[in-house]
Amino acid sequence: MSRDILVIAKREFIERVRTKAFVIGTILGPVFMAAIMIVPALMASKLAKSVSITVIDAEGSLRTLVEDSLRGGTGTPEAEKPEDPMNARPRNVGTTQFVIKPAVGADVAAQREAAKKAVLDGKLDVYVVLPQDVLKESKAEYYSKSVTDFEGIRAVDRAIEKAVFAKRIGAAGIDPAQIAALTRPLDLKRLRVSEEGEHEDKGISFFLSLILVMMIYVGTLMWGQIVMTGVIEEKSNRVVEVIVSSTTPRNLLFGKLVGVGGAGLLQFGIWILGLVGVSAASGSLAFLSGLELPALNPVLIAAFPIFFLLGFFLYASLYAAIGSAVNTIQEAQNFIFPVMLPIIMAMVCWPVVMRAPDSTLSVVLSLIPFMTPILMFLRMSVLMPPVWQIALSVVLTSLAIALVIWIAARIYRVGILMYGKPPNFPEMLRWVRHG
Amino acid sequence: MTHALQLKNVRKAYQEKVAVKSLDLEVPKGSVFGLLGPNGAGKTTSIRMAMDIIGPDTGEVLILGQKTDKSLRNRIGYMPEERGLYQKMIIEELLVFMAELKGVKPAESKRRMMPWLERLGLGGLHRKKANELSKGMQQKVQFIQTLLHDPEILILDEPMSGLDPVGTNVMRDAMIELSRAGKTLIVSSHQMATVEQMCDRVVLINNGEKVLDGRVSDIKASYGKNTLVLAFEGDGSFLKGLPGVAAVNDHGRYAELKLGPGADPQAILKAASDRLRITKFEVVEPSLHDIFIERVTEVPA
Ligand SMILES: Nc1ncnc2c1ncn2[C@@H]1O[C@H](COP(=O)(O)OP(=O)(O)O)[C@@H](O)[C@H]1O
Ligand SMILES: [Mg+2]
Repeated sequence: MSRDILVIAKREFIERVRTKAFVIGTILGPVFMAAIMIVPALMASKLAKSVSITVIDAEGSLRTLVEDSLRGGTGTPEAEKPEDPMNARPRNVGTTQFVIKPAVGADVAAQREAAKKAVLDGKLDVYVVLPQDVLKESKAEYYSKSVTDFEGIRAVDRAIEKAVFAKRIGAAGIDPAQIAALTRPLDLKRLRVSEEGEHEDKGISFFLSLILVMMIYVGTLMWGQIVMTGVIEEKSNRVVEVIVSSTTPRNLLFGKLVGVGGAGLLQFGIWILGLVGVSAASGSLAFLSGLELPALNPVLIAAFPIFFLLGFFLYASLYAAIGSAVNTIQEAQNFIFPVMLPIIMAMVCWPVVMRAPDSTLSVVLSLIPFMTPILMFLRMSVLMPPVWQIALSVVLTSLAIALVIWIAARIYRVGILMYGKPPNFPEMLRWVRHG
Repeated sequence: MTHALQLKNVRKAYQEKVAVKSLDLEVPKGSVFGLLGPNGAGKTTSIRMAMDIIGPDTGEVLILGQKTDKSLRNRIGYMPEERGLYQKMIIEELLVFMAELKGVKPAESKRRMMPWLERLGLGGLHRKKANELSKGMQQKVQFIQTLLHDPEILILDEPMSGLDPVGTNVMRDAMIELSRAGKTLIVSSHQMATVEQMCDRVVLINNGEKVLDGRVSDIKASYGKNTLVLAFEGDGSFLKGLPGVAAVNDHGRYAELKLGPGADPQAILKAASDRLRITKFEVVEPSLHDIFIERVTEVPA
């Protein structure tokens, strides 16, 4: 590789990185990303309704059990493990969280009166009454201003049920150890919940990986366009003639791609670092604690720069060829669409590939070089394809890049010294043949 | 002896338009070489072929006796006709960048650029962006850019165009100095008068073909002292009717009279002084401009 390529790449890189647009974009990017991650989590936690509840226990032995259960415990004091991080932090984000208010009053009747008054005054949301014969009759009462909070009601129902069952089992003469054993299903249930949480968690990080795919798409087009604008400027500034008297047009083209691609990569790198940073810091940041922030798959993070660069080199060299053939950005518009077509096609194929990521169609589509940057990366986010397919797609795309750069360099070589009416496609093909 | 630049039978056509037709050209080392001709003659095309920016359809280009390559190009400084700088770049960084492409280390080019900036009246402006400078200043920056890597050969395409009189003088002095320092200068111009005093050798081209080639002194000598320069007060319109006067270039109070074969300058002076107050009278060699006009009209293209 010629030293000239590095000199040119360095200039391009510095010129891009110094622009206001770059600085602002680089700073706002992570803010935007963080917003994407935090806002849903924050909304989920805001949606998690806090309900104050008083348990009035006429039966006399159930209150603690019910309250524990409402708090998210297991309903049996023995099984409570406060040091367990899963208990320390409520996992049921997005569901009802109960705040237990002790019953006030000497007897049940007084307690009912006080609770009723508190509900009417708006100081209490819910009170439940466990009648004396609750163990026998399996009937309890739920009082609230509205009785349409089905999720809350179900939770209360379950908590009381749990306590009642535990008591009945105890009454059947089974010892507390066995009760604990018999409450194991509750433990199992909690594990299921945590698996559900993980599943949901995967949902958001999957969503994030789709954002990465979008970033490859937008980034390829955006940075490609920047290359094109740069070529047009160089041409209309007439700087290009001095440069090609010092080095070859191919070196100039290649240096440009490396420099601008590097700037794009730096910006994305900072964005992703920001993303990872927010995820990592979420535990220690006070305002974020309690939120479930999604984690990105490290393989995807590592693959991102590769696929971005593949897409960028492929498309930006075509953009550069266009830029060299025209005099103004307006003139370039006519040529841009055909160049963008394959990548737009890739976006159109997105749903097909997402639904059946390992179907033959998806495999074939993702191996087409002009679609690889989007579709192979999409497949990697949905369902990791076999390594050989990934490797093959990278090799094929690299070969395509070599070919496209060769073609683009020939158009570029002729185009940069051409002023006046821009050529049509057949003319460009002639340049490629005779270059 | 190897030449600084040789074009051997080069030809270049753009679609139907033949810009350069089988041109031969030899630039001796250390000379100041003028490539002259009217607009559209093919000067820029020839120079671009010499710089390997465009490839000739046929023929061969030799720089210092060799086919061009990267290391040879680094020994040339080229100022294209179409000038331009990266508008958003700081002058210092711009010059460093261009010199680095020619293989000069940044520290070295920074050291070298200061005296030149100073000398061309751009002292203290090295941290300015190109678009903060006037057109003329930008042109000077471009000139510095052309010579910062200390090239042996400078190829300047229309170096004087667009410069004000002061700029023209500064540029000419710099060129003379470079020539004295042993550099080879190849200068193109469509205004022959601006470079004719400076050049040792010229090639005159028209419509892509060579019209004249040789040492300036030889070319002029071959035409003899056939031009009469008169400065006068009065109405000189009768001059072109005098016997022996083939053509007149009348500037109002100053006229160049081209003499026909066998004309007597003294007789003309006498006739003129009868009706005008003569302030200057001189018999001189024709200018390249006149020679060119004569050659081109002799052989219609
Ligand atoms: N890129 C080009 N495409 C088509 N014609 C060109 C191009 N460059 C120059 N020409 C034509 O070639 C001829 C020579 O041009 P040029 O070498 O620029 O002349 P000069 O520099 O002597 O003014 C002109 O007729 C010009 O119109
Ligand atoms: Mg020209």
